[in-house]
Amino acid sequence: MSVKEKLKKVLIEDLNLEDLTPDEIDDDMALFGEGLGLDSLDAVELVVVVQKHFGVEIKDMEEGRPALQSISTLARFIEEKQGQ
Amino acid sequence: MAVNIQGIGAVGGFGCGVEALRNALRQGSVPPRQVTLEHPGEAGEEFPAYLAATGELERFIPKRELRRIDHFSKMTLLGACLALEDAALLDGDRSRIGVVVASGYGPLKTTFSFLDSYLDFGYSCSSPTHFSNSVHNAAAAHVAMQLKLTAPNLTVTQFDMSVPSALMTALQWLAEDRVDQVLFGAVDEYCAVLRYCRRQFFGAGEQGPLAPLELARQTAVVGEGAAFFVLARPESAAAYGRIDGVCLGNHQRRPVRLPETDGLIVGADGHHRCGVWYQQVITGRQVAACAPVYGSFPAAAAFDLAVAALALRDGNLTVDEPPGGDGQAVDVSRLACLKFAAGGEYGLIRLSR
Repeated sequence: MSVKEKLKKVLIEDLNLEDLTPDEIDDDMALFGEGLGLDSLDAVELVVVVQKHFGVEIKDMEEGRPALQSISTLARFIEEKQGQ
Repeated sequence: MAVNIQGIGAVGGFGCGVEALRNALRQGSVPPRQVTLEHPGEAGEEFPAYLAATGELERFIPKRELRRIDHFSKMTLLGACLALEDAALLDGDRSRIGVVVASGYGPLKTTFSFLDSYLDFGYSCSSPTHFSNSVHNAAAAHVAMQLKLTAPNLTVTQFDMSVPSALMTALQWLAEDRVDQVLFGAVDEYCAVLRYCRRQFFGAGEQGPLAPLELARQTAVVGEGAAFFVLARPESAAAYGRIDGVCLGNHQRRPVRLPETDGLIVGADGHHRCGVWYQQVITGRQVAACAPVYGSFPAAAAFDLAVAALALRDGNLTVDEPPGGDGQAVDVSRLACLKFAAGGEYGLIRLSR
Protein backbone atom coordinates (compact mmCIF):
# COMPACT_ATOMS: atom_id res chain seq x y z
CA MET A 1 0.00 0.00 0.00
CA SER A 2 1.41 3.41 -0.97
CA VAL A 3 1.80 6.22 1.56
CA LYS A 4 -1.10 8.10 -0.06
CA GLU A 5 -3.41 5.09 0.14
CA LYS A 6 -2.49 4.42 3.75
CA LEU A 7 -2.94 8.11 4.60
CA LYS A 8 -6.47 8.12 3.18
CA LYS A 9 -7.33 4.93 5.07
CA VAL A 10 -6.07 6.15 8.44
CA LEU A 11 -7.62 9.58 7.91
CA ILE A 12 -11.04 8.01 7.44
CA GLU A 13 -10.56 5.66 10.39
CA ASP A 14 -8.90 7.96 12.91
CA LEU A 15 -10.85 11.12 12.08
CA ASN A 16 -14.10 9.15 11.74
CA LEU A 17 -14.84 10.37 8.22
CA GLU A 18 -17.22 7.46 7.79
CA ASP A 19 -19.23 9.22 5.12
CA LEU A 20 -16.21 9.07 2.77
CA THR A 21 -14.34 6.29 0.97
CA PRO A 22 -10.62 6.51 0.06
CA ASP A 23 -11.58 6.89 -3.60
CA GLU A 24 -13.56 10.02 -2.82
CA ILE A 25 -10.50 11.80 -1.39
CA ASP A 26 -8.61 13.42 -4.22
CA ASP A 27 -4.81 13.54 -3.83
CA ASP A 28 -4.74 17.31 -4.30
CA MET A 29 -7.95 18.18 -2.47
CA ALA A 30 -7.41 20.75 0.30
CA LEU A 31 -7.54 19.01 3.67
CA PHE A 32 -8.96 22.04 5.47
CA GLY A 33 -11.79 24.45 4.69
CA GLU A 34 -13.64 23.94 1.42
CA GLY A 35 -11.93 20.68 0.47
CA LEU A 36 -12.18 17.82 2.91
CA GLY A 37 -13.67 20.14 5.53
CA LEU A 38 -11.22 19.43 8.34
CA ASP A 39 -10.68 22.01 11.10
CA SER A 40 -8.07 23.07 13.64
CA LEU A 41 -8.77 20.18 16.02
CA ASP A 42 -8.30 17.78 13.10
CA ALA A 43 -4.91 19.40 12.48
CA VAL A 44 -3.83 18.33 15.96
CA GLU A 45 -5.25 14.84 15.37
CA LEU A 46 -3.40 14.69 12.03
CA VAL A 47 -0.08 15.36 13.74
CA VAL A 48 -0.85 12.45 16.09
CA VAL A 49 -1.95 10.21 13.19
CA VAL A 50 1.23 10.89 11.19
CA GLN A 51 3.48 10.14 14.17
CA LYS A 52 1.54 7.05 15.23
CA HIS A 53 1.12 5.40 11.82
CA PHE A 54 4.23 6.61 9.98
CA GLY A 55 6.71 7.33 12.76
CA VAL A 56 7.19 10.87 11.47
CA GLU A 57 7.05 13.87 13.77
CA ILE A 58 5.68 17.23 12.67
CA LYS A 59 7.58 19.50 15.00
CA ASP A 60 6.00 22.92 14.52
CA MET A 61 3.67 25.03 12.39
CA GLU A 62 6.51 26.09 10.11
CA GLU A 63 6.99 22.47 9.15
CA GLY A 64 3.34 21.48 9.43
CA ARG A 65 1.64 24.24 7.42
CA PRO A 66 3.07 23.28 3.98
CA ALA A 67 2.83 19.55 4.78
CA LEU A 68 -0.83 19.63 5.79
CA GLN A 69 -2.18 21.14 2.58
CA SER A 70 -3.31 17.95 0.83
CA ILE A 71 -2.77 14.20 0.72
CA SER A 72 -0.04 14.75 -1.90
CA THR A 73 1.91 17.29 0.19
CA LEU A 74 1.57 15.23 3.35
CA ALA A 75 2.64 12.01 1.61
CA ARG A 76 5.67 13.81 0.13
CA PHE A 77 6.60 15.18 3.59
CA ILE A 78 6.33 11.69 5.12
CA GLU A 79 8.40 10.07 2.37
CA GLU A 80 11.09 12.73 2.69
CA LYS A 81 11.28 12.33 6.47
CA GLN A 82 11.32 8.54 6.23
CA GLY A 83 14.14 8.74 3.68
CA GLN A 84 16.37 10.84 5.96
CA MET B 1 -42.35 19.02 44.90
CA ALA B 2 -43.83 16.48 42.50
CA VAL B 3 -42.83 16.80 38.85
CA ASN B 4 -44.55 15.59 35.72
CA ILE B 5 -43.03 13.29 33.13
CA GLN B 6 -43.67 14.72 29.67
CA GLY B 7 -41.52 12.47 27.52
CA ILE B 8 -39.31 9.38 27.58
CA GLY B 9 -36.43 8.32 25.35
CA ALA B 10 -34.65 5.01 25.76
CA VAL B 11 -32.06 2.98 23.89
CA GLY B 12 -30.60 -0.30 25.07
CA GLY B 13 -30.27 -4.00 24.42
CA PHE B 14 -34.03 -4.17 23.76
CA GLY B 15 -33.85 -1.68 20.87
CA CYS B 16 -34.63 1.99 20.48
CA GLY B 17 -37.60 4.01 21.72
CA VAL B 18 -40.52 3.68 24.09
CA GLU B 19 -42.40 1.20 21.89
CA ALA B 20 -39.39 -1.12 21.71
CA LEU B 21 -39.15 -1.00 25.50
CA ARG B 22 -42.86 -1.67 25.88
CA ASN B 23 -42.70 -4.63 23.48
CA ALA B 24 -39.69 -6.07 25.33
CA LEU B 25 -41.52 -5.71 28.66
CA ARG B 26 -44.49 -7.61 27.24
CA GLN B 27 -42.15 -10.46 26.27
CA GLY B 28 -40.59 -10.39 29.76
CA SER B 29 -37.02 -10.72 28.57
CA VAL B 30 -34.74 -10.01 25.63
CA PRO B 31 -32.01 -12.40 24.47
CA PRO B 32 -28.60 -10.73 24.97
CA ARG B 33 -26.07 -10.69 22.13
CA GLN B 34 -23.16 -13.11 22.18
CA VAL B 35 -19.99 -11.02 22.20
CA THR B 36 -16.56 -12.41 21.42
CA LEU B 37 -13.62 -10.89 23.20
CA GLU B 38 -10.17 -11.62 21.81
CA HIS B 39 -7.33 -12.25 24.26
CA PRO B 40 -3.75 -12.30 22.92
CA GLY B 41 -2.53 -15.89 22.67
CA GLU B 42 -5.85 -17.38 23.81
CA ALA B 43 -9.03 -18.56 22.17
CA GLY B 44 -11.74 -15.88 21.85
CA GLU B 45 -14.02 -15.64 24.86
CA GLU B 46 -17.80 -15.62 24.26
CA PHE B 47 -20.22 -14.09 26.71
CA PRO B 48 -23.69 -12.48 26.67
CA ALA B 49 -24.21 -8.71 26.76
CA TYR B 50 -27.10 -6.32 26.24
CA LEU B 51 -25.64 -3.79 23.79
CA ALA B 52 -27.24 -0.67 22.33
CA ALA B 53 -27.20 0.45 18.67
CA THR B 54 -27.21 4.18 17.91
CA GLY B 55 -27.86 4.21 14.14
CA GLU B 56 -31.20 5.91 14.78
CA LEU B 57 -29.33 9.03 15.88
CA GLU B 58 -28.75 10.01 12.24
CA ARG B 59 -32.48 10.73 12.07
CA PHE B 60 -31.82 13.70 14.39
CA ILE B 61 -28.22 14.80 13.74
CA PRO B 62 -26.18 14.71 10.49
CA LYS B 63 -23.56 11.96 10.40
CA ARG B 64 -20.69 14.42 9.85
CA GLU B 65 -21.55 16.20 13.11
CA LEU B 66 -21.34 12.92 14.96
CA ARG B 67 -17.81 12.05 13.93
CA ARG B 68 -16.13 13.36 17.08
CA ILE B 69 -18.81 11.93 19.34
CA ASP B 70 -18.11 8.54 20.91
CA HIS B 71 -20.52 5.67 21.59
CA PHE B 72 -21.20 6.80 25.16
CA SER B 73 -22.21 10.27 24.05
CA LYS B 74 -24.12 8.92 21.05
CA MET B 75 -26.27 6.80 23.37
CA THR B 76 -26.80 9.88 25.54
CA LEU B 77 -27.71 12.05 22.56
CA LEU B 78 -30.08 9.44 21.17
CA GLY B 79 -31.87 9.03 24.51
CA ALA B 80 -32.12 12.81 24.80
CA CYS B 81 -33.43 13.29 21.25
CA LEU B 82 -36.03 10.55 21.68
CA ALA B 83 -37.25 12.07 24.97
CA LEU B 84 -37.52 15.55 23.43
CA GLU B 85 -39.32 14.09 20.42
CA ASP B 86 -41.71 12.20 22.68
CA ALA B 87 -42.46 15.45 24.52
CA ALA B 88 -42.87 17.35 21.22
CA LEU B 89 -39.95 19.62 22.12
CA LEU B 90 -37.65 19.04 19.15
CA ASP B 91 -38.79 22.32 17.60
CA GLY B 92 -38.87 25.69 19.30
CA ASP B 93 -36.98 27.41 22.07
CA ARG B 94 -35.11 25.05 24.39
CA SER B 95 -33.08 27.69 26.19
CA ARG B 96 -34.74 27.03 29.57
CA ILE B 97 -34.43 23.25 29.53
CA GLY B 98 -31.76 22.10 32.00
CA VAL B 99 -29.75 18.91 31.53
CA VAL B 100 -28.94 16.42 34.29
CA VAL B 101 -27.11 13.24 33.30
CA ALA B 102 -26.35 10.34 35.65
CA SER B 103 -23.69 7.72 34.96
CA GLY B 104 -22.18 5.05 37.14
CA TYR B 105 -19.09 4.47 35.00
CA GLY B 106 -18.81 7.41 32.60
CA PRO B 107 -17.30 7.01 29.11
CA LEU B 108 -15.31 3.84 29.78
CA LYS B 109 -14.34 2.93 26.23
CA THR B 110 -12.92 6.33 25.36
CA THR B 111 -11.21 6.70 28.73
CA PHE B 112 -9.35 3.42 28.28
CA SER B 113 -8.59 4.17 24.61
CA PHE B 114 -7.02 7.45 25.68
CA LEU B 115 -5.02 5.76 28.44
CA ASP B 116 -3.91 3.01 26.04
CA SER B 117 -2.69 5.54 23.48
CA TYR B 118 -0.86 7.43 26.21
CA LEU B 119 0.79 4.26 27.53
CA ASP B 120 1.61 2.87 24.06
CA PHE B 121 2.77 6.01 22.28
CA GLY B 122 3.32 8.66 24.95
CA TYR B 123 2.00 12.16 25.46
CA SER B 124 2.67 13.36 21.92
CA CYS B 125 0.47 10.67 20.34
CA SER B 126 -2.51 10.88 22.67
CA SER B 127 -5.64 11.89 20.82
CA PRO B 128 -7.07 15.25 21.97
CA THR B 129 -10.53 14.12 20.84
CA HIS B 130 -10.29 11.01 22.99
CA PHE B 131 -9.22 13.14 25.91
CA SER B 132 -12.10 15.60 25.55
CA ASN B 133 -14.60 12.74 25.27
CA SER B 134 -13.13 10.89 28.23
CA VAL B 135 -14.32 13.36 30.85
CA HIS B 136 -17.58 12.39 32.50
CA ASN B 137 -19.55 15.47 31.48
CA ALA B 138 -18.63 15.26 27.79
CA ALA B 139 -21.93 13.54 26.96
CA ALA B 140 -24.01 16.23 28.66
CA ALA B 141 -21.96 18.86 26.83
CA HIS B 142 -22.67 17.20 23.46
CA VAL B 143 -26.38 17.17 24.34
CA ALA B 144 -26.32 20.87 25.19
CA MET B 145 -24.38 21.85 22.07
CA GLN B 146 -26.25 19.69 19.56
CA LEU B 147 -29.72 20.37 20.95
CA LYS B 148 -29.19 24.04 21.93
CA LEU B 149 -30.01 23.48 25.58
CA THR B 150 -28.43 26.52 27.22
CA ALA B 151 -29.83 26.23 30.76
CA PRO B 152 -27.80 24.67 33.63
CA ASN B 153 -26.09 21.38 32.86
CA LEU B 154 -24.77 18.82 35.32
CA THR B 155 -23.41 15.27 35.33
CA VAL B 156 -23.70 13.20 38.50
CA THR B 157 -21.71 10.05 39.24
CA GLN B 158 -22.40 8.00 42.33
CA PHE B 159 -22.08 4.45 40.96
CA ASP B 160 -25.32 2.50 41.67
CA MET B 161 -26.92 5.53 43.31
CA SER B 162 -26.22 7.88 40.38
CA VAL B 163 -29.82 7.91 39.14
CA PRO B 164 -31.64 8.80 42.39
CA SER B 165 -28.87 11.23 43.31
CA ALA B 166 -29.06 13.04 39.96
CA LEU B 167 -32.84 13.04 40.10
CA MET B 168 -32.67 14.99 43.36
CA THR B 169 -30.83 17.76 41.53
CA ALA B 170 -33.35 17.78 38.70
CA LEU B 171 -36.26 18.10 41.16
CA GLN B 172 -34.44 20.88 43.00
CA TRP B 173 -33.87 22.90 39.83
CA LEU B 174 -37.57 22.70 39.02
CA ALA B 175 -38.56 23.60 42.59
CA GLU B 176 -36.27 26.65 42.48
CA ASP B 177 -37.72 27.70 39.09
CA ARG B 178 -34.20 27.79 37.67
CA VAL B 179 -35.48 26.00 34.56
CA ASP B 180 -38.83 25.35 32.89
CA GLN B 181 -38.04 21.69 32.21
CA VAL B 182 -35.23 19.29 32.89
CA LEU B 183 -33.93 16.74 30.42
CA PHE B 184 -32.95 14.13 32.96
CA GLY B 185 -31.37 10.81 32.09
CA ALA B 186 -28.78 8.14 32.74
CA VAL B 187 -26.26 6.35 30.59
CA ASP B 188 -23.60 3.66 30.93
CA GLU B 189 -21.59 1.72 28.38
CA TYR B 190 -19.97 -1.67 28.07
CA CYS B 191 -16.29 -2.01 27.21
CA ALA B 192 -13.73 -4.82 27.13
CA VAL B 193 -12.02 -3.60 30.32
CA LEU B 194 -15.35 -3.76 32.14
CA ARG B 195 -15.77 -7.34 30.93
CA TYR B 196 -12.30 -8.16 32.24
CA CYS B 197 -13.12 -6.68 35.66
CA ARG B 198 -16.48 -8.43 35.88
CA ARG B 199 -14.88 -11.76 34.97
CA GLN B 200 -12.37 -11.29 37.77
CA PHE B 201 -15.10 -10.44 40.28
CA PHE B 202 -17.92 -12.72 39.22
CA GLY B 203 -16.40 -15.50 37.10
CA ALA B 204 -18.91 -17.86 35.48
CA GLY B 205 -21.83 -16.00 37.09
CA GLU B 206 -21.79 -13.63 34.13
CA GLN B 207 -22.91 -16.19 31.57
CA GLY B 208 -26.65 -15.68 32.15
CA PRO B 209 -29.51 -16.18 31.88
CA LEU B 210 -30.25 -13.17 34.06
CA ALA B 211 -32.58 -14.21 36.91
CA PRO B 212 -33.07 -11.02 38.98
CA LEU B 213 -35.21 -12.54 41.71
CA GLU B 214 -32.93 -15.46 42.41
CA LEU B 215 -31.38 -13.12 44.90
CA ALA B 216 -28.73 -15.38 46.39
CA ARG B 217 -27.18 -16.28 43.03
CA GLN B 218 -24.88 -14.23 40.75
CA THR B 219 -26.72 -14.15 37.40
CA ALA B 220 -25.96 -10.62 36.18
CA VAL B 221 -25.43 -10.04 32.45
CA VAL B 222 -23.63 -6.84 31.50
CA GLY B 223 -25.62 -4.21 29.64
CA GLU B 224 -25.48 -0.66 28.37
CA GLY B 225 -27.88 2.03 27.28
CA ALA B 226 -29.44 5.40 27.98
CA ALA B 227 -32.84 6.38 29.33
CA PHE B 228 -34.03 10.01 29.37
CA PHE B 229 -37.03 11.93 30.63
CA VAL B 230 -38.45 15.38 30.13
CA LEU B 231 -39.52 16.56 33.58
CA ALA B 232 -41.65 19.63 34.25
CA ARG B 233 -43.35 21.38 37.15
CA PRO B 234 -46.70 20.04 38.39
CA GLU B 235 -48.83 22.69 36.67
CA SER B 236 -47.68 21.37 33.27
CA ALA B 237 -49.25 18.49 31.34
CA ALA B 238 -48.11 14.97 32.23
CA ALA B 239 -47.93 12.27 29.60
CA TYR B 240 -46.65 9.54 31.93
CA GLY B 241 -47.73 10.41 35.45
CA ARG B 242 -45.55 12.17 37.95
CA ILE B 243 -42.54 11.65 40.21
CA ASP B 244 -43.63 12.38 43.78
CA GLY B 245 -40.24 12.19 45.43
CA VAL B 246 -36.87 10.52 45.76
CA CYS B 247 -34.86 9.55 48.81
CA LEU B 248 -31.42 8.05 49.40
CA GLY B 249 -30.08 6.26 52.43
CA ASN B 250 -28.21 3.27 53.78
CA HIS B 251 -30.28 0.30 54.87
CA GLN B 252 -27.70 -0.73 57.47
CA ARG B 253 -27.89 2.59 59.28
CA ARG B 254 -31.54 3.43 58.80
CA PRO B 255 -33.64 0.69 57.16
CA VAL B 256 -35.63 1.73 54.12
CA ARG B 257 -39.36 2.12 54.76
CA LEU B 258 -41.24 0.90 51.73
CA PRO B 259 -44.68 2.35 51.02
CA GLU B 260 -47.17 -0.40 51.93
CA THR B 261 -49.59 0.05 49.06
CA ASP B 262 -47.32 1.04 46.17
CA GLY B 263 -46.51 -1.38 43.40
CA LEU B 264 -42.79 -2.11 43.59
CA ILE B 265 -40.19 -2.22 40.82
CA VAL B 266 -36.85 -3.42 42.11
CA GLY B 267 -33.48 -2.82 40.49
CA ALA B 268 -32.35 -6.36 41.30
CA ASP B 269 -30.09 -7.26 38.38
CA GLY B 270 -28.45 -10.53 39.29
CA HIS B 271 -25.76 -9.22 41.63
CA HIS B 272 -25.90 -11.44 44.70
CA ARG B 273 -24.17 -8.86 46.92
CA CYS B 274 -27.10 -6.51 46.29
CA GLY B 275 -29.57 -9.40 46.41
CA VAL B 276 -29.21 -9.82 50.16
CA TRP B 277 -30.69 -6.35 50.71
CA TYR B 278 -33.67 -6.96 48.44
CA GLN B 279 -34.22 -10.27 50.25
CA GLN B 280 -34.67 -8.37 53.51
CA VAL B 281 -37.37 -6.01 52.27
CA ILE B 282 -39.35 -7.65 49.47
CA THR B 283 -40.17 -11.03 51.00
CA GLY B 284 -43.90 -11.60 50.68
CA ARG B 285 -44.45 -8.69 48.29
CA GLN B 286 -45.28 -8.79 44.62
CA VAL B 287 -42.52 -7.03 42.74
CA ALA B 288 -41.40 -6.42 39.18
CA ALA B 289 -37.74 -6.80 38.20
CA CYS B 290 -37.03 -5.91 34.59
CA ALA B 291 -33.26 -6.39 34.26
CA PRO B 292 -33.75 -9.28 31.76
CA VAL B 293 -34.95 -6.60 29.32
CA TYR B 294 -31.87 -4.34 29.51
CA GLY B 295 -29.12 -6.05 31.50
CA SER B 296 -27.02 -5.08 34.49
CA PHE B 297 -25.38 -1.63 34.77
CA PRO B 298 -25.68 1.31 37.19
CA ALA B 299 -27.73 3.54 34.86
CA ALA B 300 -30.34 0.78 34.50
CA ALA B 301 -32.15 2.36 37.46
CA ALA B 302 -33.36 4.95 34.93
CA PHE B 303 -34.87 2.13 32.85
CA ASP B 304 -36.77 1.00 35.97
CA LEU B 305 -38.09 4.56 36.16
CA ALA B 306 -39.13 4.37 32.49
CA VAL B 307 -40.89 1.07 33.17
CA ALA B 308 -42.77 2.69 36.07
CA ALA B 309 -43.76 5.68 33.93
CA LEU B 310 -45.01 3.39 31.15
CA ALA B 311 -46.94 1.29 33.66
CA LEU B 312 -48.62 4.40 35.05
CA ARG B 313 -49.65 5.51 31.59
CA ASP B 314 -50.83 2.07 30.54
CA GLY B 315 -52.44 1.32 33.90
CA ASN B 316 -50.83 -2.06 34.44
CA LEU B 317 -47.57 -3.62 35.50
CA THR B 318 -46.48 -7.21 35.17
CA VAL B 319 -45.12 -8.51 38.45
CA ASP B 320 -43.38 -11.69 39.55
CA GLU B 321 -43.97 -13.43 42.84
CA PRO B 322 -40.41 -13.79 44.18
CA PRO B 323 -38.58 -15.97 43.53
CA GLY B 324 -39.47 -16.52 39.87
CA GLY B 325 -43.12 -17.48 39.39
CA ASP B 326 -45.51 -16.64 36.61
CA GLY B 327 -45.91 -13.01 35.68
CA GLN B 328 -49.30 -11.43 36.21
CA ALA B 329 -50.65 -7.97 35.43
CA VAL B 330 -51.84 -5.78 38.29
CA ASP B 331 -53.54 -2.40 38.26
CA VAL B 332 -51.29 0.39 39.40
CA SER B 333 -51.83 4.00 40.33
CA ARG B 334 -48.84 4.37 42.67
CA LEU B 335 -45.40 2.85 42.12
CA ALA B 336 -42.01 2.87 43.80
CA CYS B 337 -38.63 2.05 42.22
CA LEU B 338 -36.11 0.62 44.68
CA LYS B 339 -32.40 0.26 43.93
CA PHE B 340 -29.85 -1.24 46.32
CA ALA B 341 -26.06 -1.08 46.04
CA ALA B 342 -23.78 -3.75 47.46
CA GLY B 343 -23.09 -1.82 50.68
CA GLY B 344 -26.76 -1.41 51.56
CA GLU B 345 -27.08 2.06 50.03
CA TYR B 346 -30.51 2.53 48.53
CA GLY B 347 -32.45 4.91 46.35
CA LEU B 348 -36.24 5.00 46.39
CA ILE B 349 -38.22 6.90 43.75
CA ARG B 350 -41.99 7.20 44.18
CA LEU B 351 -44.39 7.87 41.32
CA SER B 352 -48.12 8.19 40.84
CA ARG B 353 -50.60 8.56 38.01
